[in-house]
Amino acid sequence: MIQAPQATKRSKLQRWLQRSLPFWLLLPTVVILLTVQVYPALYTVWLSFHDREPQGWVYVGAQNFERLFGMGLFAESVGHTLVFLVGFASLTLVLGFVIALLLNRRLRFSGLYVTLLFIPWIIADIIVGIVFRLLVVPDYGLFSGILQNPALFPPDGLSVLTAVPPRPWFGDFPFPPAPAMIYLILASTWRALPFVTLLLLAAMQTVPNEVLESSRIDGANSRQVIRYVMIPLMLPTIVVALFSLTLSGMNGVGMVFSLTGGGPGSSTEVLSYMLYSIGWRQLEFGRAGALALLIGLVNWGLIAGTLRVTRAHGEPSGEEQ
Amino acid sequence: MHSPTLKRRQLWLLNSALILICLFALIPVAATVLISFKGERDIVRNPPNILPCDTPTSAFDPTQCRWATEGYQRVLAPKPTAGALLPWALTGNIVRVYIPNSFFYATTTSLLVVLLAGMAGYAFSRYRFWGHQTLLVSILAITGVPLLTNLLALYQIGANLRKAQLPFYDDRLFLVVVYLGFFLPLSVWIAKGFFDAIPRDLDEAALIDGCTPVGALMRISIPLALPGLMAIFLLTFVNVWNEFIAGYLLLAKNELKPAMFGLYEFLSQNIINLQVVAAACILIALPIVVIFLFARRTFFAAMMEGAVKG
Repeated sequence: MIQAPQATKRSKLQRWLQRSLPFWLLLPTVVILLTVQVYPALYTVWLSFHDREPQGWVYVGAQNFERLFGMGLFAESVGHTLVFLVGFASLTLVLGFVIALLLNRRLRFSGLYVTLLFIPWIIADIIVGIVFRLLVVPDYGLFSGILQNPALFPPDGLSVLTAVPPRPWFGDFPFPPAPAMIYLILASTWRALPFVTLLLLAAMQTVPNEVLESSRIDGANSRQVIRYVMIPLMLPTIVVALFSLTLSGMNGVGMVFSLTGGGPGSSTEVLSYMLYSIGWRQLEFGRAGALALLIGLVNWGLIAGTLRVTRAHGEPSGEEQ
Repeated sequence: MHSPTLKRRQLWLLNSALILICLFALIPVAATVLISFKGERDIVRNPPNILPCDTPTSAFDPTQCRWATEGYQRVLAPKPTAGALLPWALTGNIVRVYIPNSFFYATTTSLLVVLLAGMAGYAFSRYRFWGHQTLLVSILAITGVPLLTNLLALYQIGANLRKAQLPFYDDRLFLVVVYLGFFLPLSVWIAKGFFDAIPRDLDEAALIDGCTPVGALMRISIPLALPGLMAIFLLTFVNVWNEFIAGYLLLAKNELKPAMFGLYEFLSQNIINLQVVAAACILIALPIVVIFLFARRTFFAAMMEGAVKG
């Protein structure tokens, strides 16, 4: 607390105001966060144990959860979400790492490349969905002529947004995914890639040059340097990137909305989209609350994991001076 | 890995790989621009052609391209008017209602976020008080919470508030408060980081010279933190502009809809008219892309500051 030397001469009120200044500075933020974040989270918990009956809200215990798990679509959505997350996170991380490696050499045009590569990230997810849709709209899309050509994609060409999913290999688990799901993964990767690339690039640049030099002098080739020196040193950032991709993938609904609308059939219906359809299309708020709670719990797990990783590795900004 | 001397050939390879990646990354953007300048005649062709430049006699003749602006015309819907500043007025809903609404939401939210996050970040950076670390970590944890799971509750709160018919209340106010709640936490962290970077000695020197704490804040800290506050403003502006789901679920009246909502409806009204949808996408994304290109350094600074946090 900073105290001016003349503080003793001031009136009591002024001193009190000064001492409580941090409180007043923080008050609006805290009030807003309590209203918009904390209260709704508690409300969701309450909601998941209640259901709307003609006479009002009644406590139904775990019924919402039972009914949610009883829906065939739930298990299927979990499958879609898993397929989406694994595809999206691994593709983005691998591509991001490779591009970051290329950008890590100081080139004359690095700044230009970073700027151009970064454009996809600032375009809204709903617009990205629409743009990718415009490319493959059945019959009229820009690339539909190529994709729907039976000579290139036997037997009848590929209509990305309407093709039925292939027969699942493992029971009901939706793998291999429908073309629309693969396309959704590609579109999401396209948008998330710049962010992950920059994050990994920043981490890469903090790897001390001497460490790299000395491992090279010890006879490690480029691949060994990457595998045994760089990746271990960058691991905290890679984990943070992975958690953040999973978090945004779990909850990002805009692209599903504008690109596939959950279809064809239910082949791109992920949990976030299912929450929207139960809540706002079927108006089953209790069941939607149960689903929101489940998604929220996964989110909290991911957030807690991220915090652990960043704190454990000497995150400087949270420390006391 | 910085090898001291990259061979010329390596350098050439590296540059061409990066140029290829950039081109590949920009294909969807270029394709949208291309589609937006096609005419209806070329949009509804089956099988589709990529460039509208074919003639009955040749597959590609660059002198015969049929570029058209009808996509933009149908989004903007200009009507000639007398007495106005311009010879025509733009009557399309997207430019007349939705984009101005988005400007309103984005500007209001960003200004408030800058103010509140600036206050909170300053408090966290300059004072130690009871619960300092707990509150800071709680805000960091909230940063990660996505909008989606809270929307059920917010939707019902919004519906109840609407029913209560409070004076001076409308859905716009509610949406701005919701956006504040979602974009404040990250900004508080960014602001704290920027205030931390300003040496405390400067404040203390001002205080010793007889400045009040508020005076020191106004004369020393805020001017020095200005680039950081600017970064928060821009980041929030882009986030609000691009946000879809909250606006979609929390607003009911047509005249209050933000651009993303309008665009989504536009998509279902123009299933076949791809050139119109493409033109609308470009018009809505353009302000953000322009802001980004002019202020990219500020962006990268804010994002990296925020990204390592959560």
